[in-house]
Amino acid sequence: MSLTQLRPAPPSPQRPTASAGKATLWWHRFDTRTVPYLLIAPFFVLFAIFGLFPLIFNAVVSLRHWRLDDADKTGWAGAENYSRLLTDADFWNALFNTFGIFILSTVPQLVLALLIANLLNHRLRGTTFWRVAVLLPYVTPVAASTLLFAMFFQTDSGMANWFLSLVGFGEENPLNWRAEKWSSWIAIATMVNWKWIGYNALLYLSAMQAIPRDVYEAAAVDGAGPQRQLWQITVPMIQPVVIFTVVLSTIGGLQLFNEPMLFDENPALANGGSDHQWQTIAQLIYQVGWRDYNLGYAAAMSWALFLIILVVAAINALLTRRFGGGR
Amino acid sequence: MKFVGRRALRAAAAGVAATLVIAGCSGQALEGGGDSEGGEGQITLKVNFFGDMGQEMIKERFEKANPNIKIALNSAEFNAHHEDLQKKLVAGSGAPDVAAVDEGFMVGLKNQADNFVNLLDHGLGSAESRYLPWKWKGSMSADGKQIGLGTDVGGLAMCYRTDLFKAAGLPTERDQVSALWPTWDAFIETGKKYTETSKKKFIDSGTNLFNPVLAQQPVGFYNEQEQLQMEGGPKVAFDVSMKAIDAGISANLVSFQPGWNQGFTGDKFAVLACPAWMLGHIQQTAPGTKGKWDIAAIPGGGGNWGGSWWTVPAQTKHAEAAAKFVDFATQPEQQIEVFKTVGNLPSQPALYKDPAVLDFKHEFMSNAPTGQIFAKTAESLQPQYLGKKNGKTRESVERVITQVQEGKLTTSDAWPKAVEEAGKAASS
Repeated sequence: MSLTQLRPAPPSPQRPTASAGKATLWWHRFDTRTVPYLLIAPFFVLFAIFGLFPLIFNAVVSLRHWRLDDADKTGWAGAENYSRLLTDADFWNALFNTFGIFILSTVPQLVLALLIANLLNHRLRGTTFWRVAVLLPYVTPVAASTLLFAMFFQTDSGMANWFLSLVGFGEENPLNWRAEKWSSWIAIATMVNWKWIGYNALLYLSAMQAIPRDVYEAAAVDGAGPQRQLWQITVPMIQPVVIFTVVLSTIGGLQLFNEPMLFDENPALANGGSDHQWQTIAQLIYQVGWRDYNLGYAAAMSWALFLIILVVAAINALLTRRFGGGR
Repeated sequence: MKFVGRRALRAAAAGVAATLVIAGCSGQALEGGGDSEGGEGQITLKVNFFGDMGQEMIKERFEKANPNIKIALNSAEFNAHHEDLQKKLVAGSGAPDVAAVDEGFMVGLKNQADNFVNLLDHGLGSAESRYLPWKWKGSMSADGKQIGLGTDVGGLAMCYRTDLFKAAGLPTERDQVSALWPTWDAFIETGKKYTETSKKKFIDSGTNLFNPVLAQQPVGFYNEQEQLQMEGGPKVAFDVSMKAIDAGISANLVSFQPGWNQGFTGDKFAVLACPAWMLGHIQQTAPGTKGKWDIAAIPGGGGNWGGSWWTVPAQTKHAEAAAKFVDFATQPEQQIEVFKTVGNLPSQPALYKDPAVLDFKHEFMSNAPTGQIFAKTAESLQPQYLGKKNGKTRESVERVITQVQEGKLTTSDAWPKAVEEAGKAASS
């Protein structure tokens, strides 16, 4: 698995002479025209099987009735599943929750990651230690960390409430984090932030280290302080990475599933709280498909989510490009 | 990261490759695990269940009697267990060889009797004479296929903590405690007295009042035409739970969840509606409360909550062996042992007269004669029809009760919401 072999072969220095045999000529053509495609084919074949096919199959299913508990309910549904979406209060509630948690998690996550990366970019004692340390949450399995957080946010014996009681809040009536929208959103966003801040910080850090020192020196000579250097030199210069992380966290945020799922007292139900106060779209899709056994409707929801993610990711990338200093 | 040389990279790559190979192997091993032929004629039966059904003891005895059959036990959360089973029945693969099914999901499943082995084809028709007639019919499809053999019936009683009752100045003796609450209103009044003196909560949660009261009604969520009937039994049961929450006697825990389990050891409540199978849960969750529990009659008298069957999904490759297991597990000797160790009450009336059941004193529950207590409620039972969507409907209404307990919903707004949620579940 030597990575160096993945580099494209250098173009052959000279064209074969006419005296070379026909076979050599054929081989040369094959080698330069076909082999590159063969080499990248595995990715596209896998993508076609595990990416494209499910996408198309899902689209077909979303136009059909398909119930697991009732084999008689089958056949084409037309746009019925989609029109039902528009009036389904549960869907809009889940959409609202997803966006709420998405904003609460993505914005602080990326801003903090930027600040941490900026800190790490300075000369520090034990650089490697700090860099590994910020990446540790990313390495922890989501299931393990979420279960710990679920205990952390418990009403009666959770550490979160213990901290709050230290500042004199909720000593009499400890906060039930799962009861309300705002509190459950904060709890879940905390889990997401905890996991991804370090990962993004390292991405930013690697981009920052590619910025030439003399740019900062010139700025310093012109009287730009550290704040100004960060926002007017560093951020514009690492913009491609910022866009990358924004798109990635948009996708991740809108597909949020593990954390809200395991935060529930009874995870198997995928309810997202007694009144679905933190049920995300991914959870709702799971619930409709695998608890209500309504696969057609679940497929329509999946496709709606797919389109929403496309639109939001595009908007986010555009905004980041515009406000991030532009080219 | 200059120090990560090429050698390290290569080592890492080798490591990844090795992991993949190992993962590949174990994946295969896992897949074959369910029904692989181990040795000469050796078969393994996958048995899926929930809660405590005395499965360890049954496994041990069955394997001893049938050396060529191994039992692989697999436990899951109550709702997840049933929904997973349904999923796999439809998918056509992945179902276990033997699956436990609770009464709340039985109606939905026996409507798909083709997905199960008809136990009558395996000579188990003779078992009918063992059973309470309604229990035998409970797992029989409309076209006369028997898809399961009954294990237990719930019965209903009220478990209470003698030590906490004493501290609050209430009587502790069984009959005196039963006399405190002939009706649910009297029960709530007792709770108020308890909470006043002890400053502690009386009941665990509103849902654990809703379920037993609903079980006592002649009609539950659905009538036999599968129509949702919220204004009948469910309304009565819902009102009782709301009244208890309003009275401030509920610890407002969510039943069967971690916080509720902690409540057992933290003295968060003093009474608990007890079907016979609840005894197993108490012993498992709070072994330290041994001797502090006792059992009195339930307000309103009688009723049944829960009770299960062992079934054999039609996907099994070992129908004969699986049917043998089901027959074995429901034999009187095993059922009596489950009753003694776990507490589950058998669904076989002959056993109610058996001295092993009749004279049994449950040590954990202050030597309460659980056989007499639960058998009395089970024999006089008029079983309630449970609809196809009963499981999901109950879970939806329980969530509304939880919302009230979380303070998100006032008790007066709760009923319309419960009707709405139940309607959604019925049409989902």
